[in-house]
Amino acid sequence: MMSVGQPAWEVVTVADRAEYWLESHWYFAVAYMILAVLAVAAMVVALGMGLIYGERKIAAHFQCRMGPMRVGYHGILQSIADTIKLLLKEDIVPERADKVLHLVGPFLTLVVTILILGVLPYSPLLQLADVSLGVLYLTALSGLSVLGLLLGGWSSNNKWSLLGGMRAAAQVISYEITATLALLVVTMFAGTLTLSGIVQSQAQGWWVWRAHGVGLLSMGLFMIAATAEINRTPFDIPEGESELTGGFHTEYSGLRFAFFFLAEFINMFVVAGITVTLFLGGWMPLRIGNWETFNNLMGLIPPSLWFLGKVVVMVFVLMWFRWTFPRMRVDQLMRLEWKFLLPIGFINLFAAAVIILCKWYFFPV
Amino acid sequence: MIERAMITILFYGFAAAAILLALAVTTSRNLLRAAVCLMGVLLIQAAFYLLLSADFLAGVQVLVYVGGIVVVIAFVVTLTRSSQLLMDHPSPLRMSLAFAASAGFAVVSIASLWVSALHQPGMSHSKVDSTKAIGMALLDTGKTGYVLPFEVVSVLLLAAVIGGIVIARKTPPPSQPFTTGGDKPGEADVTLPKSQRISKDGRDSR
Repeated sequence: MMSVGQPAWEVVTVADRAEYWLESHWYFAVAYMILAVLAVAAMVVALGMGLIYGERKIAAHFQCRMGPMRVGYHGILQSIADTIKLLLKEDIVPERADKVLHLVGPFLTLVVTILILGVLPYSPLLQLADVSLGVLYLTALSGLSVLGLLLGGWSSNNKWSLLGGMRAAAQVISYEITATLALLVVTMFAGTLTLSGIVQSQAQGWWVWRAHGVGLLSMGLFMIAATAEINRTPFDIPEGESELTGGFHTEYSGLRFAFFFLAEFINMFVVAGITVTLFLGGWMPLRIGNWETFNNLMGLIPPSLWFLGKVVVMVFVLMWFRWTFPRMRVDQLMRLEWKFLLPIGFINLFAAAVIILCKWYFFPV
Repeated sequence: MIERAMITILFYGFAAAAILLALAVTTSRNLLRAAVCLMGVLLIQAAFYLLLSADFLAGVQVLVYVGGIVVVIAFVVTLTRSSQLLMDHPSPLRMSLAFAASAGFAVVSIASLWVSALHQPGMSHSKVDSTKAIGMALLDTGKTGYVLPFEVVSVLLLAAVIGGIVIARKTPPPSQPFTTGGDKPGEADVTLPKSQRISKDGRDSR
């Protein structure tokens, strides 16, 4: 099946490079680590600003508005102005709040997001670390992330915050199951947990269609569950403004609020990145059967651009969700998960096992 | 060489942090802070597993203990009012029992560490896919396989899940003792005063 001119993808992560230099020139290894940390920090800032600007513009155009227009050409410098404003704001902590946990909450939330950014495969040459756990790592961290919201909500000593935090916890714990079931399907097809291994297993076709409907269904399940896990609009009841003022971040201001906010926006990128990696081939170019010329043409586009393009599309879909579906009630949310998504997820997993056993999927390698 | 040195430094750093956090868990007066410290201890435990190149175990540790159990503990603590649980003066009997139990545990654990010659395995930093090996061993029906314990544990977990559902289920209305209401909401506990009731045809009964 492999075409003649197709180069075999060899994944070299930053961690691999650092390990290579460790014994002979350890300062190279240190330099690589510093580079990695700086790169992630720069990415957090750039993603935060870019996604906020994108969200505001897209939301505006969905509602036939112009969005930010004043600062720079079509408001492209608006995010920078907002960032400076947010950094200079006073950091107010309620007097009866639990001071330590009030700080731990936003910090934990942002750290979890950054930890996931470190393992996403952006291109064969651009991945910080290819952890052997891969999918398990993602699942474990997404469970950890809810603790930040819960702690932030509780420590604010405010009933709205507390309600928001508890809603967040209940919601994330529930939807985690469906997300995991959907990820398991891809793991079964790919036969590996490592993220770069999953990308490489899609050289002959992306799992979303190669897996005969099961892939498409699990991608849908994952998108729904992940939207709920990152508390975005149809599922943003933990911070529903109309009921809870601001939910878990009611009592947050200044930089601490910025942490929650940043984590929320970068989580959108993370969810898009995970969806792309697992279901849409990651940095793999699009290949169709044995259309040699087409495949070679697609192979000319560098993998990092493939990843970026796919992620941008998925982020747009997530923003599209926000302006399409109305917010759900708490009971509707639980009903959707436990009575619809969970059974579908289990049946889907079973069907995937049958398909793999019978080797019914397209283009077997 | 450098790798070994790094692992040693990391181990002692993690060990010190784990001990301090474990002390904080027991001495903290605030239950939720204790839960956060417990999270730290469990995360460091996962780091120890990583140092021993048991990657899969580390992942499961974070998934089950941190993402599951600590979150549930925090969830429950926020639901209760006992977040500032203060028992300032426990009874002397209780205190002496607690001291006896902890001293006994300390003696037993130190003694067992003392007498057992710890087999220290060489730091095998091989890139063996331990996940695959664990999966194979769990479903192996041969002599070295663990398929029977695996299935027994699965049945046990299933029973626990069903038990949870049964406990959480709404109690049937008292007039029909042997039927379950299923998912239907139980009958309202509060009966409205007569003046506020609405008769079946929709008109006010007044």
